[in-house]
Amino acid sequence: MKIVTRIAREEWRIMSRNRVAMSGLLLLTLLTLMAILSAFEHQRHTSTERTHYQTLANQAFENQPDRHPHRVAHYGHFLFRPLNALAAFDPGIDAYTGNTMFLEAHRQNSANFGDVRQSSLLLRFGQLTPAFVLQVLAPLLLIFVGHAAITRERESGTLRVLLSQGIHGHQLVIGKVIALSGFAGLALLPAILALGWLGASTAAAWPLALGLLIGYTLWMLIWLLAVVLASTQFVRGRDALLVLLATWTVLVILVPRWAPDISNTLIPLPTRFENAIHIERDYQALGDSHNPNDPKFKAFQAQILKEYGVRQIKDLPVNFKGLVGMEGERQSSELFQRYAHAIFEQQAKQSRIVDAFGWLSPTLALRRLSMTLSGTDLANFRRFLEQGENYRYDLIQRLNRLQTEEIHYGDDTNPHRENRLSHTHWQAFPEFSYVPAPLAQTLQQAALASGVLLLWALILGCFTHMAAVRLERNIR
Amino acid sequence: MSWLIHEIRLIMRSRLSLASLLLLFTLSSLAVWSGLHEVQQQHQTIAHLAQLHTQDVAAVAKKYGQSPNAGNPAYYTFHNTWDTPSHTAFIALGLRDVVPYVLRIRALGLQAQLYEGETFNPELALAGRFDFAFVLIYLAPLFIIALLHDLVSGEKQSGRLRLLLAMPGSPGQLWRRRALLRLGLLLWGLLIPLWVGMVIAQTPRATVGLLSLIVLSYAAFWTGLALLVAVRGQHSVTHATALMGTWVILTLVLPTLANMVLTRAIPVHQGVDLMLSQRQNTHGAWEISRTETLKKFVKSHPEWQDTAPLPPGFHWKWYFAFHQLGDESVAPQAQVYRENLQARQQWTQRLGWLLPSIGAQAILHRAADTDLQAQLAYQDQIATFHQTLRHFYYSYLFNERPFGTDDFAKQPVFSPRPPTATGLGINGLILLVQAWLFFALGLWRLEKIALKT
Repeated sequence: MKIVTRIAREEWRIMSRNRVAMSGLLLLTLLTLMAILSAFEHQRHTSTERTHYQTLANQAFENQPDRHPHRVAHYGHFLFRPLNALAAFDPGIDAYTGNTMFLEAHRQNSANFGDVRQSSLLLRFGQLTPAFVLQVLAPLLLIFVGHAAITRERESGTLRVLLSQGIHGHQLVIGKVIALSGFAGLALLPAILALGWLGASTAAAWPLALGLLIGYTLWMLIWLLAVVLASTQFVRGRDALLVLLATWTVLVILVPRWAPDISNTLIPLPTRFENAIHIERDYQALGDSHNPNDPKFKAFQAQILKEYGVRQIKDLPVNFKGLVGMEGERQSSELFQRYAHAIFEQQAKQSRIVDAFGWLSPTLALRRLSMTLSGTDLANFRRFLEQGENYRYDLIQRLNRLQTEEIHYGDDTNPHRENRLSHTHWQAFPEFSYVPAPLAQTLQQAALASGVLLLWALILGCFTHMAAVRLERNIR
Repeated sequence: MSWLIHEIRLIMRSRLSLASLLLLFTLSSLAVWSGLHEVQQQHQTIAHLAQLHTQDVAAVAKKYGQSPNAGNPAYYTFHNTWDTPSHTAFIALGLRDVVPYVLRIRALGLQAQLYEGETFNPELALAGRFDFAFVLIYLAPLFIIALLHDLVSGEKQSGRLRLLLAMPGSPGQLWRRRALLRLGLLLWGLLIPLWVGMVIAQTPRATVGLLSLIVLSYAAFWTGLALLVAVRGQHSVTHATALMGTWVILTLVLPTLANMVLTRAIPVHQGVDLMLSQRQNTHGAWEISRTETLKKFVKSHPEWQDTAPLPPGFHWKWYFAFHQLGDESVAPQAQVYRENLQARQQWTQRLGWLLPSIGAQAILHRAADTDLQAQLAYQDQIATFHQTLRHFYYSYLFNERPFGTDDFAKQPVFSPRPPTATGLGINGLILLVQAWLFFALGLWRLEKIALKT
């Protein structure tokens, strides 16, 4: 053990004199700090803005004049997607999804006004976030700093001396790994502090922040093992460096772009246009729920009459027009849900293909883990859309029920009456509040990705161990 | 010519160089193929949707073929619009995967329809597309670095430098030849797939020339940079580290930083504002007197001033009029929103003056007609069509003409926008000057170092 620490200490001494290592570390720290501050500021600003807009939308809804409830259903409501606390660490798909949803009767709208449509192509270069710095830049720094860990000893001839003095190959390699781990720890430090800070901000966030910390530690471990492994395999430091840089380019830059393209080609999504046509056609087939005499609702009419034990619509104690509205909304929502579900499933299938590439490039596994735990992945966005749709359905049905119970059928079918209800009715409606995914579910979703990362680390660990043993054998 | 054969033999013998040249060729071929495939897919989608749309309109025409007025036909008929990919779109797909390139609209308020999103998987869009622009902007510099960083130091470390310098001939000539040969071979790996792709896509000749020039210039920039570092007589590792560091800063760090600053400096929340007020104003019409609304409408549409007054109760012309007034009420906001989007685009292009990665990216996407500007041009085309559409229905509604099956055949048809791709422009010129300046500087330094060493 003493030997290992001495080797590690020696390596640190060399690193501290290495200009590239020190300036790289400084630059990385600066970038992480900037990313954290900017992400946090962006988060706060966006949160305030969305809360502000949500309040505006709620006020607009509540302050409507007295109206016919179905008018209110067409006036509709706006929802703004709230931001997750950890989104400051990894905004994930945040910039690529719409933030605003318009809820109205008979329609399911898309979430609009995403950043991606409102940005120049700069957004496509990536966003400077703590996650970006750790995913893309930190491994590169480890490569620059660590590629010569063993080759330097070999090139200068000290490797032979060390090994012939009775130092075991694995002691040497462990010493180097420890030294690089220390360096990686320094590189991670600002991010760790940021995670601690974000994790402490809400009670629910800290297990997720801890999960992120474990994920990124595994990620750094994978890279420093890969760096040391490469360093044992090559005679010249230059070759180790070039091979590592090529590996980095493929794993961090190339595969993450390529895998989605393959997935997109394998499972094409229908355009919204096409879906809208199909939905519209099916919707028309349901009948017009504005018209109580629509032939499509004849069976429903018979059933209602039977239920209430009356012979004619006008004898019903409730407004049949409202009942038809409710039935129509029920059927059409089912229809929308069916189409939306099909799209969600297609998207999930696409994402699973990309996830499968995680076995090939741990970057994808890390990204999955990071987005899932930060609450900025597709599953989370889907959750928002689904909760929004449920809220829409509930809202419209409440209005239809008002129409059923508060307005007389005779009045409602008279084209010369406006039948306005007091706005106090919908002022009492509950406001939308997003319920985040339960912790256990999130952790479960991230389990596979962390398994992939762990496996990568284990395999690389085994290879490094084998390489260390071989180092010794080749010399003797 | 014997030197050429000799140098080529040297490259062939270096497994690393040969492998990287072949790899670059493969990658750019794949990128071109993938881009062509995507564009073809988009063409097919547009054609397929046109067919679906015709069926859809036929169904509406059947249902409302004998309408006493144009209300129901105008309300229930959707009209399809589409944005045909340009002949160059395959090199840089830009925004086409995240914004709709097909949109159906009605004669109702346009502002509530124009910003509709497209169905796409954001997790897949996150990393960006694997297209030719990506290969050129991100990957090509890495290959240039790999081939040139040890131009001098490699010879020095293998002990041949002294011998090479002692050879007769102009100093620097050897290095220049070597560097240019490596660059030349690398350029073929980029240009051949690009040219083949352009022939398949029938790209106009001027664009082929422009894009080839951009590829050459961007490669020249990185070559110049690589040579400037390569001539410093240090270890190959030091050179590789310095160049790789520069690459990271120029293509990853500074653009993300710039994006951060730009989003802060030019906020675009007006989109949401205009959507909120558009709804407020449109629905407000149900609360005010209908004749009042119509009076306001004919102010901006005086041609309908002397038509029949509104009857009591519902009339479709009032319905379409208040939708139009809703649009008009947010016109100033829509204008500001648009201007801010354009400002973002403009500043991005200006950043290209400093960062060739951004500059080249912007020019490629401009040439491909797939950037924000192209998106706005498509929106303009939709707006023009929407206006034609409205006026078509107004003439039925305000003249109280019935709308029959024949009239469905007379409905206006969308015509896609003409391409907006522009030539090189000032931004392109600055990129060229910058790139070739670095190139010349790099070549010039080769001479100097050869003398000094």
